[in-house]
Amino acid sequence: MTIPAVGAVGSAGFTPYVAPTLPTAPAAPAAPAASAAVSAAGGTTGTDFSQLLSQGLQHLQGLHTQTDQLALKASTGDLNALHDYTITATEASVATQLTTAVRNKALEAFQEIMRMSV
Amino acid sequence: MGAFDMLGIASSGMAMHQTWLDTLGFNIANVNTVRPTSQSAFQAQYVMAQSTQGPEGGSGVRVSGLALGDPVGRLVYQPDHPLADAKGYVRMPDIDLGSQMTQLIMAQRGFQAQSQVIRNAQDVYSSALSIGRQS
Repeated sequence: MTIPAVGAVGSAGFTPYVAPTLPTAPAAPAAPAASAAVSAAGGTTGTDFSQLLSQGLQHLQGLHTQTDQLALKASTGDLNALHDYTITATEASVATQLTTAVRNKALEAFQEIMRMSV
Repeated sequence: MGAFDMLGIASSGMAMHQTWLDTLGFNIANVNTVRPTSQSAFQAQYVMAQSTQGPEGGSGVRVSGLALGDPVGRLVYQPDHPLADAKGYVRMPDIDLGSQMTQLIMAQRGFQAQSQVIRNAQDVYSSALSIGRQS
């Protein structure tokens, strides 16, 4: 009687777990030197966090501008659908909450690292 | 699909239902509009809705057009009416008020359902935002 080795389990239909590979974004040629240095030092590739945050803030700015325009239309009587304003305001509110949540999480992580005793 | 597609789709639904409510109000307002027999009767408006497709699945609904009701209407004998012709007939619109009122309830309920979708979307977003939130 022979007991198969552990390595032989693979032949019995078991497929080992393969981590999914994320599609790597092509490196932007116009990336600032600082972010390139950070990613080189950290050994990671991808978008810089500050870039992500500023993109999110720009998107948020656009949403709030849209909401303000609709609020002006509502007050001047030019709004032809009430839900246009309320839905845009909801969207801007949720997006603001999301952006602040992302910012708070990042700050929390940073403070956690700073508290680390060396 | 963007993060806020649920809101955009519900917004298009509310816009369609609002147009429907507008046409129903217009039809009911003109249910007694009398025309002389030499002209066509008041034509009721009916909203035609069409689903819209985005690049990744459905993106909502839109009003593809307004269908018009019967221009013949019904001839009513009212010889004392100022618009009556020589035989004493006037032309009334062929609108079934019962059907219009039923559609009014349907449009109102549809509008309410869309606003409930928006409330649920808000709940969904806030529960997603509360993941990992302390205290």
